[in-house]
Amino acid sequence: MLSILLWIPLIGAIAIALWPNFQSGRQVKQFSLVVSVLALVWTAVIGSQFDIAIAGSQFQETIPWLDSLGLRYQVGIDGLSFPLVALNSLLTCIALYSTDDEIERPRFYYSLMLLLNFGVVGAFLAENMLLFFLFYEIELIPLYLLIGIWGGARRGYAATKFLIYTAVSGIAILGSFLGLVWLSGADSFAYQPDLAHSLSLTQQVLLLGGLLLGFGIKIPLVPLHTWLPDAHVEASTPVSVLLAGVLLKLGTYGLLRFGVGLFPEAWSVLAPWLASWAVVSVLYGAFTAIAQTDMKKMVAFSSVGHMGFILLAAAAATPLSLVAVELQMVSHGLISALLFLLVGVVYKKTGTRDLTILRGLLNPERGLPVIGSLMVLGVMASAGIPGMVGFISEFLVFRASFTAFPVQTLLCMVGTGLTAVYFLLLVNQAFFGRLATRADGKVVTLPPVAWSDRYPGILLALLVVLFGLQPSWITSWTEASITQLAQTAATPVAVLAPSASAVLGQSSVP
Amino acid sequence: MNDILVQTSWWVPCYGLLGALLTLPWSMGLVKRSGPRPAAYFNILMTVVSLVHGTLAFRATWHQEPVQLVFHWLTVADFDLTFLVEISSTTMGVMELVTSLSFLAQIFALGYMEKDFALARFFGLMGFFEAAMSGLAISNSLFLSYALLEMLTLSTYLLVGFWYAQPLVVTAARDAFLTKRVGDILLLMGVVTLSVLAGSLNFPDLYDWAETATLTPLVATLLGLALIAGPSGKCAQFPFHLWLDEAMEGPNPASILRNSVVVSSGAYFLIKLQPILNLSPVALTTLVVIGSITAIGESLVAIAQIDIKRALSHSTSAYLGLVFIAVGMQWTNVAFLLLFTHAIAKALIFMSVGGLIITTNTQDLTEYGGLWSRMPATTTSFVVGASALVGLFPLGCFWAFERGLDIYWYDQPLLAAIVLTVNLLTAINLTRIFRLVFLGASQPKTRRAPEVPWPMAVPMVSMIIVTLLSPLMMMRLSLLPNLAYINKSAAAALVLSGVIGCSIGATLNLNRSMARPIQKPLRVLQDILAYDFYIDRLYRVTVVFVVAYLSQITAWIDRYIVDGLVNAIGLASVLSGESLKYSASGQSQFYMLTILIGVGILGLLFTWTLW
Repeated sequence: MLSILLWIPLIGAIAIALWPNFQSGRQVKQFSLVVSVLALVWTAVIGSQFDIAIAGSQFQETIPWLDSLGLRYQVGIDGLSFPLVALNSLLTCIALYSTDDEIERPRFYYSLMLLLNFGVVGAFLAENMLLFFLFYEIELIPLYLLIGIWGGARRGYAATKFLIYTAVSGIAILGSFLGLVWLSGADSFAYQPDLAHSLSLTQQVLLLGGLLLGFGIKIPLVPLHTWLPDAHVEASTPVSVLLAGVLLKLGTYGLLRFGVGLFPEAWSVLAPWLASWAVVSVLYGAFTAIAQTDMKKMVAFSSVGHMGFILLAAAAATPLSLVAVELQMVSHGLISALLFLLVGVVYKKTGTRDLTILRGLLNPERGLPVIGSLMVLGVMASAGIPGMVGFISEFLVFRASFTAFPVQTLLCMVGTGLTAVYFLLLVNQAFFGRLATRADGKVVTLPPVAWSDRYPGILLALLVVLFGLQPSWITSWTEASITQLAQTAATPVAVLAPSASAVLGQSSVP
Repeated sequence: MNDILVQTSWWVPCYGLLGALLTLPWSMGLVKRSGPRPAAYFNILMTVVSLVHGTLAFRATWHQEPVQLVFHWLTVADFDLTFLVEISSTTMGVMELVTSLSFLAQIFALGYMEKDFALARFFGLMGFFEAAMSGLAISNSLFLSYALLEMLTLSTYLLVGFWYAQPLVVTAARDAFLTKRVGDILLLMGVVTLSVLAGSLNFPDLYDWAETATLTPLVATLLGLALIAGPSGKCAQFPFHLWLDEAMEGPNPASILRNSVVVSSGAYFLIKLQPILNLSPVALTTLVVIGSITAIGESLVAIAQIDIKRALSHSTSAYLGLVFIAVGMQWTNVAFLLLFTHAIAKALIFMSVGGLIITTNTQDLTEYGGLWSRMPATTTSFVVGASALVGLFPLGCFWAFERGLDIYWYDQPLLAAIVLTVNLLTAINLTRIFRLVFLGASQPKTRRAPEVPWPMAVPMVSMIIVTLLSPLMMMRLSLLPNLAYINKSAAAALVLSGVIGCSIGATLNLNRSMARPIQKPLRVLQDILAYDFYIDRLYRVTVVFVVAYLSQITAWIDRYIVDGLVNAIGLASVLSGESLKYSASGQSQFYMLTILIGVGILGLLFTWTLW
């Protein structure tokens, strides 16, 4: 059942690449849309069969593959991965829909997009660490090409930077997985929460350090983040949507699944440091965003800041905080996808993203009023205004982390305030004011926005509001699994906490 | 029937929201044939529905026990987020005030905004505004109230920024949002802390907790200060008062609501918080201090303004300062009464101002003159509103002031003096405005000044009647003290301060063409007051400066240190490869030499310890 979710995009990608009879780019687009909608429908089917009361993974499938290596094709889905799989299917549809009809080399492009979808779904479903690593690397190749071929002026630089960074991330993760399996003496790479229990704390901390480096690059955390703004600025809009909406979630998902799940003792030792790291990330992202003049770069740095909230809540590792992590992942996925879509429309219509040039885009006759209104909604959601999903997820993050790390939580709240600052600057600069007149004194009339450019944004905005009013529609999917995860994280901590601090020779407060 | 009405009275805010949603087809440009008017009518219809429902529910709750409705919103792990809604005669009364003022303001807007192309958007925002405020009235949960206050922040931003093409509007909207947001973030910190400490965010639970809680003084102080930061931003109190003045760039019908009920909603929230604030004496003292500073400072600043809306908005801050003092002194009854009477009087005055602006197309006090005979309804509403605002017996604010003076007279003479001073200064300001606008010779912009059209006149006249009847209403609601027990000397002082203020205002030398004094000290004083103690420059050299420089520095670090390091590593690896490629010369002697040297160094290293 789950494998079909993998087969749909893979077969679609191969078909697009090989089928000789496509007449135009439009046809390819329609075909790939059909494929992605099929995947979305299948996700919904799985959702309808999904039992939210079961904490463990469901729909498991196991096929022997390279048993001598410990590599098996093991997939399953649980409350941690289901919302992300659904988010991925949805955003792939939206990204494909909002792709330009006249794109160059359409067959290559669409098959890469579907391949990307395949890799990401695989990584979310994999229950074997080596299999996860394979999917994690598969997703890298299409993304490299998507940035490197259809990107902006400095695409070569950005794509290479992305490739090298993510490759390093992959090596670090692989190293940790190998070390874990060798040291624990397990006979396969199958995911088992108790794998690390026999390891000494020092070993655990070292292995967790590898994972933190690897996933920290992917999330990204300061100072491992510099690939992200470049990649976003150079990538085309649909790729940015997927990059911000889904791909960054691979990092946080990995942190939760493998960091918290496999190394609970080491996690609790490092947690205060992680929380402080989160503060640095949040404030650094926010302050850097304020200084940006490129809209897309500003949104990219806001991602850096908002992913810091996830690290903060993950560090606390209570049931509530981990649910908050999941909610924040989904909410960031929706909101940042919305923002990148809108920035993409602005760029398409005005030819620039420079905040020092853009003015008065809300103009009802000659500007982009609907896009502007959606932008106001998007930035307000990102700044955590109630009624939208960003608020409740951030509130849960703060509420849950406050018990463990009060000072760090308060500092992260300052970051929320700063979010309002830079996004308000963006709206005030670009959308308020008077629409510029050209140098020759003629008024500027921007090309009208087609409804097809608005639908994806409107859909995402509706979802942002809907989940803001009913957050339990996300949290109920994930609660059982998260509670179990948090319990595995909590049990050994209680027993081992004194020895843990003894080993590192310091108390738990940095 | 009554039971159903009471149980469903939480629908009232939803009506406003529904009205806002109904305007969407027009504001998005989907329906163009009909023009934007139907959107306005839908919205007014929904307000009427909420008004009717609210009135019936109000009658049903009269002399009844309060009803608490519980909504389980989100249950995650060990965290249960419930919304508590209190349906009592008090909360329904406040909601009635909000919806009826919103109704009048919307009728008023039909006339005021008639020629505006974005009428539908305006009414949508008004519906949103009304929904948030009436929700706040019945909310009995700190979390829900916080959320609604944030929505008010958002809708204030959008309403102030309504005419977004004007540069002043853009900065005004930005300042309104950011100032309130600073307060809101501090408040959020308080809310999160309370949620962890008390375990529940519903006010009754919090009150119970606050009675028995034992906090260290530091925690209690920080908590109290965080909690009052939010209302200070909402109520435009020092040092968060700048935005209200700038917000006067927005459309006037929204200013009617903003100066009456919106700022009051912040104070209403503060009154709700009061039992929790008792934990921290420092916070209560702070309330009194910032209230006093704002009350006196803003009353003075108001006198130096030449923009009519600004001159009145500063007095709003001053009155809210008095409310803050009352809450800080734990006299919530006084605070409540003052909020109620001030809201009605201020709404009326702002209606009159709206009439002036639409007729003369100016907000500059020096450009008005001689309007009293041309615009009788507008003049009457200004006079009635102004007399209700100063302590003129027996109109609204007299009773609020009198109640406050009664309490402060013997124990806190300083506070009593502040109340009297504010009354005096307000009387000066209102008389000054009255003379400039309505008396004197006509000016170019006031020569052809017909009375306002009926959509504006009807709400104005209804509001005049309401204001005149407000003492009777208060008597019916048994809010008034028995005349036999009032402090005669306090009442006399109050009336006297008003009379002195009016006579100073009447004799003040007002020169329209030469508004600036020639004497240097006077001019400096006028500038300090006219520019609101240069508070915006204070912001600029402190908060704005710090944030701007920190962001510049971080961006520099990001670009040149973090990214620079990454690029340097890349460059180093490329350069080393590029330079090493020259060693591939094809001569085997060279390779042999390289190998020899390499092996030699390795051998040296390995045998180093043996030497």
